[in-house]
Amino acid sequence: MDSSIAEQQRILASDWGGGKSPFGTSWSKFMMWVFIISDALTFAAFLIAYGFMRSISPEWPKQTQVFNMVLITFMTFVLISSSAVMAMAVAAARASKPKLAVRFLALTIVGGLIFLGAQAFEWSHLIEEGARLTHNPWGVPQFSATFFVITGFHGFHVFSGVTILAIVALRAAMGKYSADGIENAGLYWHFVDVVWVFVFAFYYLL
Amino acid sequence: MAEHHEQHGLTYKTYFVTWVWLLVLTALALGLGYTNINEKLKAFLLVCTTLAKILVIAAVFMHLRYERINLILITFAPLILAVILFSFTFPETLGTVTHLIRVR
Repeated sequence: MDSSIAEQQRILASDWGGGKSPFGTSWSKFMMWVFIISDALTFAAFLIAYGFMRSISPEWPKQTQVFNMVLITFMTFVLISSSAVMAMAVAAARASKPKLAVRFLALTIVGGLIFLGAQAFEWSHLIEEGARLTHNPWGVPQFSATFFVITGFHGFHVFSGVTILAIVALRAAMGKYSADGIENAGLYWHFVDVVWVFVFAFYYLL
Repeated sequence: MAEHHEQHGLTYKTYFVTWVWLLVLTALALGLGYTNINEKLKAFLLVCTTLAKILVIAAVFMHLRYERINLILITFAPLILAVILFSFTFPETLGTVTHLIRVR
């Protein structure tokens, strides 16, 4: 009898005994991670599908001849920088400096807007040259199909991120801020950056 | 969780240094993109720089190195599933191409 009571107490005292998070995080941060993981699966499927289509295609257009690589590199620089500034916004919020956090958040939003502007410029340029979902002037239809789907999906994530960050920044400016909330929005923003790192390497450079 | 985060010791300087390293890795990837080497070797090296970059972002910017091991492990699920997807689809294309998909 004694051993079973001891066993019960051992279970209740463990991380899985109830009343505490087995992952050692707040529920909101854990849910953000679960969302990021499921979203990463979507992008993994997109990129694998792109890789498959590219490897069965006898030829593939040279990216340097189609894209303005200076612009793409600039977009990558902006997104990585905004990610670093976002991390600083979380640090400022954790240190109970809401004004500094709002300033960092505003910089992050500006970075996101510059990225979106550059992407809109790139898209309109390619569409003007005749690139569509189903065909393009460079011969391989899958080239523009995967381009529009992958960068479009990523661009929509950037747009959502900018919206979320704007809401978080406004609330922080109004004094309704929580460091946890800013950190969760930051996790999403860093994820958008991570996806771009993959797209940049495998779509533009490979 | 607040106490937990204050123990991080992550300062603005850490983030700045991480940012510089990410730019170095980006420059490296960009250089790889322009070099004329074997396509397979280039793909492998690009995978390496990309993995290095996402590990740095996840560990420092996303504070993953301060999380519990069970949370860290579940974040690897997409990478593992991507490898499975890759190994299921690519053997068909690595040999001679016997069929082509035409989108039209």
